[in-house]
Amino acid sequence: MKKLRQVFFALLAVAAIGVLVFLLRMTQSVDADLHRARLERIQVVGNLDVLLNRQFTGSRVSSLADSVTDRSGTTGQLDTALNALDKDAGALRGLTPEIDKALDTFLDTIESKFELAFDSEARNTLLTQRLINSMDAVPTYADAVTAAATDAQREEARNLTMQVKTEIVNFGVTPTPPAAAAGNIRALLEQLQAMAPPTPPPAPVTEGEPQFEPEDPPFTKAVKGLRDRSEEVIADKTELVAKLRDFLDRPTGPQLQALEQAYMSWHEGQVAIANQYRTYLAAYAAALLLVLAFLGFRLARSFREIDRANAELSHANEHLEEQVTARTKDLSTALQDLRASQAQLVQSEKMASLGTMVAGVAHEINTPLGYARSNTEIVRNSLDDLRGLITAQDRALALMTAQNASDEEVATALTEAEGLRATLNPAETMEDLGNLLKDTDFGLVQIADLVSSLKDFSRVDRSRTDLFDINSGIDSALKIANNLLKTRIEVVRQFGQLPQVECSPSQLNQVFLNLFTNAAQAIEGEGKIYIHTSAEAEGVIVRILDTGCGMTEEVRARIFEPFFTTKAVGKGTGLGLSIVFRIIEEHGGRIDVRSTVGKGSEFVIRLPLKQKRQSGDTAVSAAPELAAA
Amino acid sequence: MDDVAPTQKARVLFVDDEPRVLTTMRMLFRSRYEVFFAESGQAALDLLKTQPVDVIVSDQRMPGMTGIEMLRAARDLNPNAMRILLTGYSDLNAIIGSINEGEIFRFVNKPWMNDDLSTTVARAVAAAKASMAAAAAAPAETADNPAVQPVAGAAGVLVMDDDPRVPPQIQTILGPSFKVYGASSMNEAVEQLEKNQIGVVISDTRVQDHPVVSLIGTLKQHHPELVSVILTDRADAGSAIELINQGQIYRFITKPIHDSQCKIAVNSAVRQHQRLASSPTLHQRYEVEAPATPPPVAAGGTGLLDRVKSLRSWVRRLGS
Repeated sequence: MKKLRQVFFALLAVAAIGVLVFLLRMTQSVDADLHRARLERIQVVGNLDVLLNRQFTGSRVSSLADSVTDRSGTTGQLDTALNALDKDAGALRGLTPEIDKALDTFLDTIESKFELAFDSEARNTLLTQRLINSMDAVPTYADAVTAAATDAQREEARNLTMQVKTEIVNFGVTPTPPAAAAGNIRALLEQLQAMAPPTPPPAPVTEGEPQFEPEDPPFTKAVKGLRDRSEEVIADKTELVAKLRDFLDRPTGPQLQALEQAYMSWHEGQVAIANQYRTYLAAYAAALLLVLAFLGFRLARSFREIDRANAELSHANEHLEEQVTARTKDLSTALQDLRASQAQLVQSEKMASLGTMVAGVAHEINTPLGYARSNTEIVRNSLDDLRGLITAQDRALALMTAQNASDEEVATALTEAEGLRATLNPAETMEDLGNLLKDTDFGLVQIADLVSSLKDFSRVDRSRTDLFDINSGIDSALKIANNLLKTRIEVVRQFGQLPQVECSPSQLNQVFLNLFTNAAQAIEGEGKIYIHTSAEAEGVIVRILDTGCGMTEEVRARIFEPFFTTKAVGKGTGLGLSIVFRIIEEHGGRIDVRSTVGKGSEFVIRLPLKQKRQSGDTAVSAAPELAAA
Repeated sequence: MDDVAPTQKARVLFVDDEPRVLTTMRMLFRSRYEVFFAESGQAALDLLKTQPVDVIVSDQRMPGMTGIEMLRAARDLNPNAMRILLTGYSDLNAIIGSINEGEIFRFVNKPWMNDDLSTTVARAVAAAKASMAAAAAAPAETADNPAVQPVAGAAGVLVMDDDPRVPPQIQTILGPSFKVYGASSMNEAVEQLEKNQIGVVISDTRVQDHPVVSLIGTLKQHHPELVSVILTDRADAGSAIELINQGQIYRFITKPIHDSQCKIAVNSAVRQHQRLASSPTLHQRYEVEAPATPPPVAAGGTGLLDRVKSLRSWVRRLGS
């Protein structure tokens, strides 16, 4: 139960930490570095695009080759940047469909721009080359115009051609010349044209091959040449500018902006989500704090309780001494009580064996006593009768011998005596009386025997340690127990020749009596007790085997324990066998028991011939307590 | 001894494993009775199968079969024979057994006085003759005829006990067909006996520290048809013997009360009462010894004996 609770709380803690980690991750989902990197990539692409535009725009005629190299370098960089934007780990693709769409649009556009640039590369080079050539030719034609001018007009022509040269150079060099520039040039050329002497109006100069009309004056011719060159410059330049515009007008900028916008709005969404999670996290953290506070409160309360318990404990510790003293006193009282009650129990065990013995002995004595007393009474009564007969006979005899007695008197006395004799039948009566007295004698001998074996049994008139014939001890114990045994139990004695054993006879008699009593109690109905004695090198062995109920192994293991009894409460003290065990032990002997339930039990006692001096002393000192009843 | 017909001597069987006791008995009784002897319970039973006797005097402790076992068997063989136990020592169980199983007339201790034993045997002989006559008069009602069923309500049961819980308990055990009266003192008991028709008295050995043996003895002397059952937890051998010899108690049961044992005992006590009430000649069978000393009179109950004697009118009424 407790373990289950612990597991439950551990799981709860793990779950709480899991939720915390999840929320933290969600708030961290907006990666600022990645975001910055992405913005940077967009910016890089934008910058490169602008650079490319500029390079495209600012390609000088003079540095045409350099410019191409620069552009291809930039294109390469842009390609890398675009790839980074499109495909890398930090790419924008795959974030949202909107971003993907904006990215696709942008990529398509920039792709087309690349293609455009690639396609117009050759033409541009050609145009630029021609432009440069035309521009280079312009001063020569301008000088020719000045030279062809009349002296009067030379100064003006020089000014005008100077202007035309300047304008042309400006026009050609400026990447995107103002729209009015071509008109200015044409107006200057018109002014030059106007300076020419009136001639049939020349063919329009705007287009067509320069005409070297021989009839034309040289000035007009020179102006025409100048005009042709200028027109070439204007045409080439205009085409170049148109191409440039086409290139520049590809809306990469706004599209990139749209992409950035889409990305930014996605990012803001992410940030908003992260913010939401941050709110959750804050709420969750607050909740956790509350839980922590609650736990802390409980912990504090537990600590308070522990403190209190500690205080009580230390208080108890302080008073332990007193308590120990009190308990010790209680315990010693209890011990005394226990000793007293043990002594009482030993006493009551002795009284119980005494009771058994008295019961048997009383019956054994009362029976001979009964008939002896009765016989005495009968004999006394008969003696009265006999005395009457003798008196009568004496009187008859006296009368017969008396001198003065009449014959009648003698006859009467004789008749009387004869009558009494006939009733009493003295011969028969004498025989009966003799028999009764014989019986009485027998009864008295029996009583004397019993009293003597009682004395033998208790050994009250002998020293405590004595040389003792175990067989006779068994006999006297059997005599005492006879009453218990004789009605239903057959005792089979198989006595061997035994040496005398140094022991306390009264104690051993008690051992035998206890064992016989137990055996008799184990036998229900009729049964047998076998008693076998034999001598060994160093001692004697007594085996007592009964055909009783036997006992289980558990009972067998405990039978010598004090107070262990299988009898009903109040029927046995449980001390009988423990006393047996102690007596045998104090004699330096051994007692073993084997038993089979339903078959019977066998007690085997081994006794040494001689007592060890010290153990003999203890046997003697222990004797008063264990002395046989 | 006047009861003994001169032509036919009464037959008395003595049983003892000690042959010298039998010799003595022969010397004592041969002139008055036709005497038989057996040295064991089994021999006695064998003899009883062929030889009816009036009185059996038996030892208790004998090899093979105890006196009580023999007497119980003899009761079946020869129900009219009076049974006397003569023994040197007996424990309480043996005494209770002799009451409940042997239904003995007297319990005599060894060593005995010849005169007392003679008197006891003579009484037993007289009782045996009387019951024999009764049996002859009404052969259907032999002492142990189980067909005699107690008639419910015919006679009440008086329970004397210090413990007021005992009478209701016994009422519960016996069931509603018996009327149970309770008494916690001798005076109350006598009052109940005057007021109600009582056939069976169930009593502890002592009531309010007075031994009941004198009351039961007095009751039995004057109302021989009353049947007594002792129910006690302080049984001792001496008082049990007194109760047999002076109270002729019919059953002896020990507390705690076992329902079935109690019920069987009371049932047979009621049957016994009905037999006695219907055949006054049987009373002699359950005659009691006069107590050696006058019975102690309960405090304040000076007229106790008088009152007991006054119950005789009730007895006559019942007997008629």
